[in-house]
Amino acid sequence: MTRWSAVMVHELLCTTRERLPQLLLAVFVGMIAASAFIGSSARASVTGVYQEALRQGLTTVSNPFDALSPLYYARNTVIYIVLIGALLAIVVGVNSTLRDRQARTADLILSRDVGPAFYLGSKLAGLALFVLLLLALSALLNIGCISVVTGQVLAGGDSARIAGLYALAWLFMLPFVALGMAAGLHAASSTSALLTPIVIWSVVIFILPLLGTAAHPVSLLNPVSPPPAPQGGFFAATSSLVDPLSLGEQFKHVGALILADPQATGTMAGGILTMAAFAVAGCAAVVMTRRTRMRRLLHD
Amino acid sequence: MTATAISTTALTKRYGTAQALNELNLSVPAGEIFGLLGHNGAGKTTIVNILTTLLEPSTGTAEIGGRDIGTAAHQVRSTIGYLPENVQFYDNLTLVENLLFFAHLSGVQAPRARIREVLKFLDFTGHDSQRMSSFSKGMRQRAGIAQAILHEPSVLFLDEPTSGLDPQGVAKLREIIISLNTQLGMTIFMNTHLLAEVTKTCTSIGILSAGTLIYQDSMAATLESFPAQESLEDIYLHIEASQRS
Amino acid sequence: MIEMLTLAKKELTDLRRSRLLLVLFAFLAVAVILSVVVASADFRLKIADYRHYLDALKAAGSTAAAPAPQLFPLQMLRGGMEYLEIIGSLFAVVLGASMITKEKGRGTLALIFSRPLGRYAFAGGKILALSLIWATTMGALFLVIVATLLLVGNAPLQGGDYLALAIVAAHTTGYLIMWSLLAMTLATLALRTGTGLILALVLWLVVVLIIPQIGDTMDPDNQIPGGLFASLQVDKSHEQAVMAHFTGYETTRDLIEQTSVTKQYERATFAYLGIKNEYNQQSLSFIWAGTFNNTLWLLAGLATSLGAALLSGTKKTILRKAP
Repeated sequence: MTRWSAVMVHELLCTTRERLPQLLLAVFVGMIAASAFIGSSARASVTGVYQEALRQGLTTVSNPFDALSPLYYARNTVIYIVLIGALLAIVVGVNSTLRDRQARTADLILSRDVGPAFYLGSKLAGLALFVLLLLALSALLNIGCISVVTGQVLAGGDSARIAGLYALAWLFMLPFVALGMAAGLHAASSTSALLTPIVIWSVVIFILPLLGTAAHPVSLLNPVSPPPAPQGGFFAATSSLVDPLSLGEQFKHVGALILADPQATGTMAGGILTMAAFAVAGCAAVVMTRRTRMRRLLHD
Repeated sequence: MTATAISTTALTKRYGTAQALNELNLSVPAGEIFGLLGHNGAGKTTIVNILTTLLEPSTGTAEIGGRDIGTAAHQVRSTIGYLPENVQFYDNLTLVENLLFFAHLSGVQAPRARIREVLKFLDFTGHDSQRMSSFSKGMRQRAGIAQAILHEPSVLFLDEPTSGLDPQGVAKLREIIISLNTQLGMTIFMNTHLLAEVTKTCTSIGILSAGTLIYQDSMAATLESFPAQESLEDIYLHIEASQRS
Repeated sequence: MIEMLTLAKKELTDLRRSRLLLVLFAFLAVAVILSVVVASADFRLKIADYRHYLDALKAAGSTAAAPAPQLFPLQMLRGGMEYLEIIGSLFAVVLGASMITKEKGRGTLALIFSRPLGRYAFAGGKILALSLIWATTMGALFLVIVATLLLVGNAPLQGGDYLALAIVAAHTTGYLIMWSLLAMTLATLALRTGTGLILALVLWLVVVLIIPQIGDTMDPDNQIPGGLFASLQVDKSHEQAVMAHFTGYETTRDLIEQTSVTKQYERATFAYLGIKNEYNQQSLSFIWAGTFNNTLWLLAGLATSLGAALLSGTKKTILRKAP
């Protein structure tokens, strides 16, 4: 086993043995499994409401949910990835680097022939693999649940789109893993190590979209795209500034395109490039951490 | 002529305005068990941190086995083992899982066989699959020694190795340190406050005071040179007091 | 009682000197101010659009009059209230957990409990300190809110508006104290330092984000951008007639939402601020009649967390060791 793979295996072992990420993992996987059934219930209610409106002669338009793609049932998972997936990524990232500072094992590692960049790079690769395995499992679960809800095995093309969504989720979660790791390396206490990246996450997910579009924070929890932003002076200026930084909205937009949401327009390239840029910047920040920083004692 | 295992030349370390080490010149021959004594804050842990490449000196140089700790840090790390004070591990992993991790990091060939060999040498068998969270202080210390010698280092650094151990633990550790030196030929550099243990374990000593090496000699010569003092503790206090005056 | 006050005083001094409280307050204040600025900019755009529309009508020779968009100043707080609901509670969780973890980490618990303290003095001191901190922070924050509404939003606030704001501030204080105490309880019960905080964060995630999200997603009107009924061209009065046939489904959806204390807090505060249309410009007694059950559920949550924090914060529980 090479040193690279030894650190990766060690990272996987430590992460899967810790109870708290396990708890978040259970919530994440549980909600992914439930999302198709929540979608099914919503669809049934919409169809019922439509038929009632039709029966009372209140509408003449066609049922907006007619000929709905089975991919509709995966739309909620996008929100769960933004909320639970990103938090899980932060928690495993923080725990990964905090573990070495809390147990003072950083000294045991750095007194060996292992450079900080190599070690942190291997740890990051281990966590990236962990997230990939977790998302692969979630994708299979999601495809299975949609098949149960629709009563037939999901077609190859649709399954590929769901796999594409989870590949995108990996790219989306990677900056949060790196953010968590960086916080674990730089924070003065374990509380601030966890608090800082969660505050940054809340700004990225809830505050930046408000500045760019006037969208209210709670409405961002709905997978249905909000009405287009006002294009006046204030929002024209702010949206050009904050839109690229609104990682959650970028993920939701590209996710909607992958899931062939009829309301989604535009291209995927911008969103994917933004997420990739964040991932690269985050990983570089982690890998460039200095030896002295890794050894710093925690204040709690 | 005996080779030099550890040597420092005008080694200085400053933390802001505080001077932790002051132009320290030290030489430890290979095959010694060297005990570095000194009061709290004398700079003992700083020198260990510098010699194990964890900390960079402000000025001056140091060599381990003839290799410079600055320019040949990678080679130095391959030849040293380190047991920090109050060593801790990954509590959720078992003893063997922890040791495997460190063995891989040190590039040990056939790590499982080597771990078995080391644990047998340390008389520490039967705990392989036990998680480290259930280990006592003494068990952790032995696991700490195990991780430090997995890659057969030629120089072993022990920072306050007896800290927090009960008398049985101290006696067992002494036995291990002596056998590492006599059977495996390792040079051992240890910081400690337990002067009675130093008398029983070390072959030479140095005394550090406010970042300066004020005394260094073999244990036998030290005991002979101060016939009026009853113990190493008395000798140490005498040297410290004369330095102050 | 004196020992409890001594403990509370120590906490307050400690927190006053730490940067955490300052950062927390500054962050919440900036978020709330930004939300009012954004709402104000949004309203100005609506007014501009309306004027363009009137000009276009005039140019076309039409004499038809369209109603102008009306400004209800307290409605501008919607974004800010949602930040307090989501991010405020997150801070409350961290603050509550840190009350215990910092003592555990510093090893000061043994020093405290080796003194002759009453059984509930330790927990009581912490609870008192947290309550005072949140009451003061919210008092200051709502002063900032009023100033922002007056200066940024140019809002003509009336006497009733100030009373509504005071009621909302009281609700918010109770809501945040509840979260802090829940986190403090979990940190007390957890054997390892970080466990309590992450357990509290998982609880926060479920109660603040996931349950309301499920309720929101199950709302048929939220399934289509702009609303299902609008897309079906069904007006508000007929919407109720249609939904009358789905009372079972709506009750289930409502029950799911009601299990989240965050939703109870949101329903009450949105009513007092007139964000919920049916309560806009209504008297306080009318709003109380419609939302007192939400306030009571919030109080029940507060009482539960208070009891749990008090009962769990004993020497026996805190100093117990892992088996």
